[in-house]
Amino acid sequence: MIDFTIDESDELIRNTVARFAEDHIAAHFRDFESARQVPDAVINAWESLGLNGLELPDELGGSDSSMMTRALVNEALGAVDAGAALALDRIGAAVYPLLEMASTAEIREIITPLLAESSRRALLVYVPDGRVESEGKTCSGTMPFVHADHADLVVCLDRQRAWTIDTGFEFDKVRGSGLRAAAPSSLTFRNAPIRHYWENTKGAALSLARARIYYASLLLGVIRKSAEFSREYAKERVVFGKPVAHHQAMAFLITDMNTAVTSARLQIQYACLAGANRVEAAASAFAETAEQAAYIGPNGVQILGGVGFMQDYPVEKYMREARALGLLLGGIDAAKDDAETSLAAYQPIIAGVL
Amino acid sequence: MELNLPAAVHEEIEQLRDFGRSTIRPLGIERDKIGSPTPPDHEFFKTVLKRGLSKDYSSEDTRGLIGTNVLRILQANENAYWDRGVASSLPGPGLGAGPVMGMGTPEQRKRYMSIFGDPDNPKWGAFAMTEPSAGSDVAAIKTRAVKDGDDWILTGQKLFSANADRADWIVTWATVDPSLGRAGHRAFMLEKGMPGFSPPIPERKMGIKAYASASFSMDQVRVPAANLLGGEEHYASRAGFKGAMKTFNATRPSIAANAVGMARACLDEALKFAEETGNIKKPRMQDRLETMRRKIRSAWLMCLRAAWLADREEENIVEASMCKATAAEVAMQVTSLGMELLGLEGVRGDHLIEKLYRDVKAMDIVEGTGQIQRVIMARTLVDLPRD
Repeated sequence: MIDFTIDESDELIRNTVARFAEDHIAAHFRDFESARQVPDAVINAWESLGLNGLELPDELGGSDSSMMTRALVNEALGAVDAGAALALDRIGAAVYPLLEMASTAEIREIITPLLAESSRRALLVYVPDGRVESEGKTCSGTMPFVHADHADLVVCLDRQRAWTIDTGFEFDKVRGSGLRAAAPSSLTFRNAPIRHYWENTKGAALSLARARIYYASLLLGVIRKSAEFSREYAKERVVFGKPVAHHQAMAFLITDMNTAVTSARLQIQYACLAGANRVEAAASAFAETAEQAAYIGPNGVQILGGVGFMQDYPVEKYMREARALGLLLGGIDAAKDDAETSLAAYQPIIAGVL
Repeated sequence: MELNLPAAVHEEIEQLRDFGRSTIRPLGIERDKIGSPTPPDHEFFKTVLKRGLSKDYSSEDTRGLIGTNVLRILQANENAYWDRGVASSLPGPGLGAGPVMGMGTPEQRKRYMSIFGDPDNPKWGAFAMTEPSAGSDVAAIKTRAVKDGDDWILTGQKLFSANADRADWIVTWATVDPSLGRAGHRAFMLEKGMPGFSPPIPERKMGIKAYASASFSMDQVRVPAANLLGGEEHYASRAGFKGAMKTFNATRPSIAANAVGMARACLDEALKFAEETGNIKKPRMQDRLETMRRKIRSAWLMCLRAAWLADREEENIVEASMCKATAAEVAMQVTSLGMELLGLEGVRGDHLIEKLYRDVKAMDIVEGTGQIQRVIMARTLVDLPRD
């Protein structure tokens, strides 16, 4: 069947998360940004929702949730504050290499202590370009940006392998182009001992695919909000005797931004449902979302004009964060590279089989 | 959420695909070279009818299997993949189906739709809105309808009406009073042979040459009251204009699906060319092919969503315009990239991608240009005033 209906249970989770974000984050995101952290009260409220490690099996403390559920949760959070979302979700995308490459016993061993305490955090680091090298039993190198300033477990992922580290690394505060509520830092590994190690090209590709859906859906929230906020502003603000939005140049820009958001969302949803072509579909979804974000972010500011450039309005933050999120996991180029690998084996698509 | 086709629908599309490969595409290429539409007495049309490939999904109950609109866009996508011009030339009511089925009285529906049953006798219907001075601005049509006793007298000119040169009837839009604007619009069933109705003449086009886009004039054509689509009562308040817009709503996703089909054809040809020339692994080539596939996917998902909403009888104003605007632009972008891949091979003028490059431009013009689609979306998104 062709059916775009969101499942009732997913709808429920999405609404719960959207309400949480509205109640606990929306009015304070500038404070979180300045403080480079989310206050304990908000963390406690988030923890009470029980949404950490959503994708983990029930018996390991998760909800066995699908990527569709994840995408909806992340869009809802990203639309309010993507930085806070990353700060709150203390398991985050680090769970994917575990789910795709580790045994159940290993996952249990790794995840149980993390879930037990709300101060404990895991962090996924994608290291395909030689920045961080694993040599035998240790790894070394520096990541110029990560969206955390502490972690109890770092999961490193490259194109063939994943490994975990729980000591031998340090975070150094960086200013952060965006996502400041997540405490942007650089991360340096100095002969950090490797605890768990998995080599599995397919598992690595699937882990990366899921991580791409994770970050693309956060990004989707950001660009959706940028498009919506600027649209509402343009309906209110009057120039040359009529609302900004009623000047055709602006009306067309606004409709194109709405279309761009939809394009990203549909690609993400498609990737969530994809089976055998999940790796390509997720890479395409990430590339599409990041590409549309590069269009929407600056135009969200443009529609507001001078005030858009000022920090009294959130569109400048959306612009910065739209770019920052789109650069994670190797950015558009890496996503396009991965999407392209399937072109040589391409089978002509027929109508309806995408 | 689910994006799978039932096996039976899949089979039906496979059949279309076989016929498309063996017959539709060769005919499309042939007509493109000749430069004129397939003649109505061509054996192809009887073959199509005998194979049941020209059926009108709007009158079928397919809801148990898949929505009518989704099925229609699947067909539109696959047909256009093989040749949009040939697909548009297929016998049947064409764009007239929407208004006849949506606005017509039961008697009119029976009278005008029943002519399409005989596989040995291909018949066409048509739809005429566009005029020399009213393209996108359909509210500005000048064709006049004047009441004379029980009859109506039609005078005016219509342009670019698909298959009008061979149609038994044409849903023809006219105004009873230009000062009434949209409220003055009426749809008439103009029939072949009516005195004063000059035979429609096919225009010369850049592409999609296998079907006729015909223009005609009406000089004091007397049309009986029974040919007023929907009868007088249908046109209370502003329902006249809305009738026309309703048909556009149902057809935009189909035109968009046509564009997606043509873009897919281009992608497949581009991949073939890249393979054959040993260029497929070149980064720049891969970059273009990846962009093509991704943009086609977005456009197609938008089409499916718009059609799915229509099947649920939910408002799809923004979605229908979005898929139309996007798919047409994507198809243009994809065929242009395809030409880029071909290089001078494309400039020779005998490659399928070159034909597609010309063919797809029409998709951003017919059924409301990309700009008009944005105006329509803006009316909902930012309350853009109509006037």
